[in-house]
Amino acid sequence: MKGVCNLIMVFFALALMFSCTDKQDFNQIDDLEITPTYETSVFYVKAQESIINRINGVSFFSQDFNFDAFAEPFFANRVLSGVLTYELENTTSKPIEIILEFLDENENILDTEIFRTDAAPTSTLTRDVAYGPTGKNLEIIRNTSKIRLNATNLGDNTSASSLPDPAIILRSSAKFTLEVR
Amino acid sequence: MFTLGARAQNKQILYDFNEIPQSLNLNPGMETDFKWFAGIPFLSGISGYAGSNNISVNDIFADDGLDINLKIRERALNVLTPKDEFSSTIQLEYINGGFRSADPTIFYSFGGYLELDNITYWPQDYASLIFDGNADQLDREYDLSDLKSRGSMVNVMHFGINKRMDRNLTLGVRAKLYSGIVDYSTSTNKGYFRNTIGQNNRIATTLSADLMLRTSGIEAFDQAADDDAVSSEFIKRAFLGGDLGLGLDVGFTYHLSERTTLTGSILDLGFMHHSNSAKTYSLEGRATVEGIQIDILEDFANLNTDFWQNLVDEVEAAIPFNTDTKSYISFRPTKLYGSIRNDFGEPVGNTGGRLDCNCTVGSSGGGELRMAYRNSIGAQIYMINRPRGPQVALTGFYTRRIGNIIALKATYTADKFTYTNVGLGLNIQAGPVNLYAMADNLLSYRNLAASHYASFQFGMNIISWGAKK
Repeated sequence: MKGVCNLIMVFFALALMFSCTDKQDFNQIDDLEITPTYETSVFYVKAQESIINRINGVSFFSQDFNFDAFAEPFFANRVLSGVLTYELENTTSKPIEIILEFLDENENILDTEIFRTDAAPTSTLTRDVAYGPTGKNLEIIRNTSKIRLNATNLGDNTSASSLPDPAIILRSSAKFTLEVR
Repeated sequence: MFTLGARAQNKQILYDFNEIPQSLNLNPGMETDFKWFAGIPFLSGISGYAGSNNISVNDIFADDGLDINLKIRERALNVLTPKDEFSSTIQLEYINGGFRSADPTIFYSFGGYLELDNITYWPQDYASLIFDGNADQLDREYDLSDLKSRGSMVNVMHFGINKRMDRNLTLGVRAKLYSGIVDYSTSTNKGYFRNTIGQNNRIATTLSADLMLRTSGIEAFDQAADDDAVSSEFIKRAFLGGDLGLGLDVGFTYHLSERTTLTGSILDLGFMHHSNSAKTYSLEGRATVEGIQIDILEDFANLNTDFWQNLVDEVEAAIPFNTDTKSYISFRPTKLYGSIRNDFGEPVGNTGGRLDCNCTVGSSGGGELRMAYRNSIGAQIYMINRPRGPQVALTGFYTRRIGNIIALKATYTADKFTYTNVGLGLNIQAGPVNLYAMADNLLSYRNLAASHYASFQFGMNIISWGAKK
C-alpha cells in the first residue's frame, strides 16, 4: 500500500518536476486603463421662419430646458474629456444670433456659447468646443443641469426665404471620454 | 423558457479505462469484472479542468515588462472572437459504489457528485464598447448576441444498470436525479447598438435589444447570507430542496472480433426545472434617439416640458427592464463518447493473474469469459453540444498493462483548445485498493501559465472481484 501511494506521488511529482511557468505579475491589473469614448446626439432645436416673423421684438425665443444628462453620476464621476459639436443651419431670410448658456442647479451661468449666422443662403456653421485638459473646464459639463437658449432675430419680421421649409436649426452632438477604470 | 446547458470536461483518459470503476460514469455499458467496488467517500473521484482556447494567463500577466494595456489590446481585443471560450468544471464525488447482482451478468452502480461549471464566450462587441466606446463608428452594429455565459452548481445522484447481453455485447443505462443549487444563464441574447446619421440631429443612436439573464438560487443564497444560513441553504438545495431535474446515460460495448472492440455512450440526456428561487431579468425593445428634439412650432404650447425626462421615459417605455420569478427549464449538456479499440500482446490472465481477480473482462460470475490483454490501442471521439455549435475532440490512445498492478494510458487529443494535448493516466491496483491519477496537456507543463487547457482526475476505490475460482 505504501509503495502504491509512493507511485502515485511519483506520478504527480514527475508532473510537477517537469512543469514550470514563466514568472507572472498579477499586480499588472492595477495598471489597466479603460477609457472608452462615446458619441451621441445631445439636442436639436428648430425654429421656423414663420415663428420668427410672428414674434415682434429682437429676441424671438428664450427658454430654459432641464438637461440632466451630464449630471448622471455614471457620466459625471467618470468623464475625462470631451467635445461638443454644434451645427447651425440657417435657411431663413434673416441673420440670427443664438446664445447658449449652461446653467447649474441654482441657475448660475457656467458657460456661454454665442453663434451668429448670416441670412440664407449661407453655409452651415460648425463648431467644436472641447472640455477637459485641452479645452474648457470639465466642471462646466459636470455641473450643467439646465440649458438656456436665446435666439435673436438680427433682421426684419417681414421677409420670407425662398428656400423650402425655412428655419434656423441648431444641431449638437457630444463625444466624451470616460474613465471606466 | 428553455436554455441549453453546455459545458463539461472531456475525460478522454478515463473513458474506456476499464480497470477504473469511475469509467462506468462515462459509459454505463462498459464491460466490468468487479464483484463490487466502493469509492472512498469524497476521494473516489476528483476532477477538474480550465480552458481558454485562444488566450492564456501568460499572454496577459507574464512579467515581461510590456504594458498590460498593450497586451490586452493586441492579444484579446484584436484577436478574440465570440467563438472563443473560457470554461471550467470541478467535479467531486462524495459517494460511489457498485455491486454485482445475483444474476452475474448484471452490475449495479450508484453514486453522487457535486459539479460546478461555467462557460463564457468572449463578448467581442461588448468588449469593444467597454474598451473603445462607439465614437467615430457610424453604421457599425454592435452585436448584442455576443454575450453568452452560463454556469451552475448541481448535485447529481445516479443509479446505473450494466447488463452483459452475450459474449459480445454489453449494454448499460444510468438514471440521474439532478438537484440544482445555483444556475445562471444568459445565452439567448439578440439585438444591436448602432449610431447612424440622424434624420434631424447629427447622430441617431439605436438600441434594439432582446436580452435575458436567468438565475436560480442566487436570491436564496443572498437571503441565506443575510440570515447567516448559507451552509444549511447549500445542503437543502443540494439534496432535493432546490431545482430538480432528470437525466439518462446510455452506453454499450460491442466486440467486433476477439480483439477489436467498439464502445459508445450518450451522457446527460436530461433537463432541469428551475422553479425554486428563480429570477429572470430582461431588457427587450427598440428605440432610436437623436437627443432632445424641440420643434418650436410644434412644441410651442409645451416649451416648459421637461424634454430630458420625457426622452428618458420614452426610452424606458420602449425598452423596458423587467424582472420576473417564473420557472424555466434548462437542458443538461449532452455528451457523446465513442471508441474503437484493438487489444494485442499477451493476455494478462496468462501470467499469474491479478492479485484478487480472475483477470478477465466481464468475468465475475459470468459464463463466457474474455481476456484482458497487455496492450490496447485505439481512437476515441468526444462531442458536446455547445451554444455555438457542437464541439468535437479526437483522441488516439495506447493502454499498457504492467503485470496486474499497473495500467497506463497515454492519449493524444486534438480539439478546440490545442492540437498538442498529450495526456497520461495511471491506475494502480494494490490488493483491493485502487488508485488512479490522470493529467492532461502535459506538454504545456513547460509553462503552465501559457497553457490553454489543463485538467486532472484522481481518485481511490476499494474493489473486489470475488473469490478466485
